Amino acid sequence: MRQAIGLLAAGLILAMLPLVGLPAFYESFLYLVFHWVALATSWSLLSGYAGYFSFGHGAFFGAGMYTVATLTAGLGAPFLAALPVAAVVATLLSVGIGAVVFRVKRLRGELFGLLTLAITFVLATIVLNTRLDGGPGVYLSNVPLPRLVASPTGTFYLLALGLAVLTLAAAYTITSSRLGLGLFAIHDDEDVAEVEGVPTFAYKLVAFALSAGIAGVAGGIHAMYVSYLTVPDTFSITVPLYVVLMSVLGGARHWLGPAVGAALITASLYAFTGGQQAILGRAVVAFVLILIVLLLPEGLVPAVLRRARGRRERAADVAVSPILAAAGARTEAPATLDCRDVWRAFGGIQALRGVSLSVAPGEIVALVGPNGSGKTTLINVISGHHAADRGRVELGAATLTGRPAHEIAGLGVSRTYQIPRPFAHFSALDNVALAATFGSARCAPAEARAEARAWLEFTGLGRRAAALPHELNLHERKFLELARALAGRPRVILLDEVLSGLNPGEIASAVHLIRQIRERGVAILFVEHLMRAVLELSDRVVVLNEGEVIAAGGPREAMRAARVIEVYLGKAHVA
Amino acid sequence: MPSLTLLGQSVVSGLLAGGLYALLALGLSLSWGLLRLVNLSHFALALLGAYLTYQLGHAFHLAPWLAAGLIVPAFFALGVVLHVVFARFRVTEFTSLLVTFGLAVILESLIQWFWTADYRRYETPWASASIRVGPLFVPTLELLACLTAATLAVATWAWLRFTYVGKALRAAAEDPAMAGAFGVNHRAHAFVLSGISAAYAGVAGAFIALISTLAPAQIWAWLGTVFAVVIIGGLGNPVGALLAGFLIGVSESVTMAVAAPAWAPLVSFSILIGLLVLRPERV
Amino acid sequence: MLLEVRRLAIAYGDAPAVWDATLEVDAGEVVSVIGPNGAGKSTLVNTIAGLHRARSGELRFAGLDLGAVAPHLVCRHGIALVPEGRRLFARMSVEENLDIGCYRGEARRARRETLDRVYHLFPILSERRRQAAGSLSGGQQQMAAIGRALMARPRLLLLDEPSLGLAPAVVDHMFEIIRAIHAEGVTILLVEQNVVRALEIADRAYVLEEGRVVAGGAPAVLREQTRIQEAYLGLRDGGGPS
Repeated sequence: MRQAIGLLAAGLILAMLPLVGLPAFYESFLYLVFHWVALATSWSLLSGYAGYFSFGHGAFFGAGMYTVATLTAGLGAPFLAALPVAAVVATLLSVGIGAVVFRVKRLRGELFGLLTLAITFVLATIVLNTRLDGGPGVYLSNVPLPRLVASPTGTFYLLALGLAVLTLAAAYTITSSRLGLGLFAIHDDEDVAEVEGVPTFAYKLVAFALSAGIAGVAGGIHAMYVSYLTVPDTFSITVPLYVVLMSVLGGARHWLGPAVGAALITASLYAFTGGQQAILGRAVVAFVLILIVLLLPEGLVPAVLRRARGRRERAADVAVSPILAAAGARTEAPATLDCRDVWRAFGGIQALRGVSLSVAPGEIVALVGPNGSGKTTLINVISGHHAADRGRVELGAATLTGRPAHEIAGLGVSRTYQIPRPFAHFSALDNVALAATFGSARCAPAEARAEARAWLEFTGLGRRAAALPHELNLHERKFLELARALAGRPRVILLDEVLSGLNPGEIASAVHLIRQIRERGVAILFVEHLMRAVLELSDRVVVLNEGEVIAAGGPREAMRAARVIEVYLGKAHVA
Repeated sequence: MPSLTLLGQSVVSGLLAGGLYALLALGLSLSWGLLRLVNLSHFALALLGAYLTYQLGHAFHLAPWLAAGLIVPAFFALGVVLHVVFARFRVTEFTSLLVTFGLAVILESLIQWFWTADYRRYETPWASASIRVGPLFVPTLELLACLTAATLAVATWAWLRFTYVGKALRAAAEDPAMAGAFGVNHRAHAFVLSGISAAYAGVAGAFIALISTLAPAQIWAWLGTVFAVVIIGGLGNPVGALLAGFLIGVSESVTMAVAAPAWAPLVSFSILIGLLVLRPERV
Repeated sequence: MLLEVRRLAIAYGDAPAVWDATLEVDAGEVVSVIGPNGAGKSTLVNTIAGLHRARSGELRFAGLDLGAVAPHLVCRHGIALVPEGRRLFARMSVEENLDIGCYRGEARRARRETLDRVYHLFPILSERRRQAAGSLSGGQQQMAAIGRALMARPRLLLLDEPSLGLAPAVVDHMFEIIRAIHAEGVTILLVEQNVVRALEIADRAYVLEEGRVVAGGAPAVLREQTRIQEAYLGLRDGGGPS
């Protein structure tokens, strides 16, 4: 909250400056600073927070510029009315692109960057060849500029300041909201985020749209500022390059990072003015980018913050909510997980052949079988990571098959991974809080942290709440997975080899925990190779072999079934 | 509808332009396909090679092939050094994009510092020489560039296909650990590959100097098209890059003849976008 | 002793996979390592082949300390790996995969001779020599993977779960071939989940459970012991867990 007030105060003070008489040179310089603050911050909304590095910010900027140019110079519309239209055009463009591209799983990372770059070139070509520009460029010198203050530069100053403050406010709000939490999770591990309940497609689209809209307005304002537009200048590599530079320098994941980077770089470029010096300035800036990427990948602002504050035990001041008593306070009634005749193939390999099993509330069912028998595939199908080719999975009255993974999570299905996949940039507390926010519990952010604290205590990780995953050992990371799975207040938990790699003492604690979870009425399906634990814990055992259920029943009976012994040990032992 | 001669001429100039695209794409395709590193500075390096060729010819009156003889080995060394830096900092496929982006800007600034933003033209008596084939004109220099591209593409393909080192490179691109289990020293190979990629940039640069007018901003002009060539041709596939270059060159120049010239870039980018969206597994 | 493994401890990052493995293989033997999934068998074999570094313990091959040898040079000493899941170079042809097998030194000089032997053992590979390795069936891929390792003319052949995902008839054929290879003088260390096959072919065997070698000896002896049943099925005498 303090940060928000500080931002508004700074904004107000800066807004006063033109009124008290600031030399035009400074007004121009600060206009550029605000302009880049808005551009860089808006870029990082998707690219910094969610990790989808876009090299196409120039497309939205250019779309905004040419929208305003066409409306004002071409159709005589008033400038201020044209700005919202610029935002809308840019937003629609981004939604069109996102709707297609975000559905394609493989288009992440550098492919997304290349695609957005290509789109910028395509847009530039279209603008160049149609009446939007046609070649000679567009003149806006005849368009009247509304005078907010006496001087034109002052007006631009105020417009850009307004946009910058709005953008920073948006960035700040997002980073402390569910949207921001979801975007950061997507950055670290999009598939896990989806399975934890984050609506990844929707969130990426929203961030992209917001980012594009702001860029469009910035472009619109800039069109009036330069008053003569040409395609090469508008769609040059400058905007895409600089927004990346500024955000990476300042820290793309922090709401203030890109702004700091923008201020620093604009100032340095201004310091190197004219001719040869400008060239040197660009080279120095690029060199700094390389150094930052290699040595300080998180950016300046986070690095400075870390030095200044050490690491605050932010978890300490969160009250522990008494969860042990309030079981089921916010969740729906316990339900049975029912898999009916599930089939799934990959390429030519039939991984699941008509698997049917069910897990009742408070029941622990072990899923065992040799390597490659389809155990993890079944878990992936239930949790929604893969779709089933045929068959149904139901939880109580709700059908799970056919739904996206985040909806399934919302209905109360949680899973752990054999090799833990925590969100690398999130503390243990935040990892668990995310599940509480997006799982079927649907907590508000503040409540979520209290929930998270409680679950960490439950799994014995209370003291490690502020630690980052790479600082935890394997046993702690496995229990973090467990806490994260529980925080969604699931009705079904799918455990994938949660005991592998643990020493006997740790295994005993894990077994104890799993029993406690069972007591809360959760249905538990767990994949395990450690037979001792299977026999100790499970109420029933289902044995898979080559995608088929070959035995099911009480642990001793199932494991002694002739077929099972044959599969594991060969016919000789059956006798 | 343009005349047959005009169409024929467009196809010819398209093939020749495509050859130059392929020459640029070769090095990029190799490093991206076999090293899994995206080198955005490839174009800047090529343009640097072009300017150096120009300078050596202009100031020292060195014939282009002699200039190339100096530049290509020097660039090989440069490529090796670049990979030393990458290896030292454990650069990933994604961070390589950012780092080489920065490198490209540094190179561009370097070029602009020494040679200014004014257009430069390598004056050579062969600039206007061309061979007549029926009613069609085939400019000699561009033909030479195209033939060089074809030769290098085929030679590289053969090297990858038939030699042990080539097979080792292809194996390591798929599964470096298993290749290592059979004795392939991927680390050492990576340095050589990076050097070769940069050397190819040098060769491309020499031809660019002879054929085009030079300006620093050209670095970014080629970027989109050449990336399209690399991806359409298949990463790490030299002959694919050659054919993709021809495809794009011809479709661009035919578009130019049939519609307005400025529509040409749309063709390659549309193909690229289509490919990325519909067949991303290819990359 | 050709291969000596003493108190080897291997971890992935900080996730321990093998705590304390001790075993030995003499020249000319077939030694099997059996154990349930997740016991650490693949980790052990991959470390011997140089794909992975052990955290502590001793690993000696013909007296040489393998821990001091660079990963890509391990094969030069005469160790070849047929990894779990075959790990062929899918986009390269069968013959090219075999060529990678004899990449190092002397093996390359003997290429023609070794290639003939491999094609003799696996005629199907000769038929499909120009096909992309990724397009072969599971059994054919397994043969190609074994062939690739044989091209290296190894003294010690490491086989990691060769029967995985294969039909029983194909597995029969596979084990016949392994016998044939052994008959030519190659020492074999076989890792298998399939207890029957593994014990049938072995001179000696070890049982690996939860990262430790818990039993070792002649197959006949091990078969009688309930240790194997415990390891795989969790059943103790009387059927309860320990």
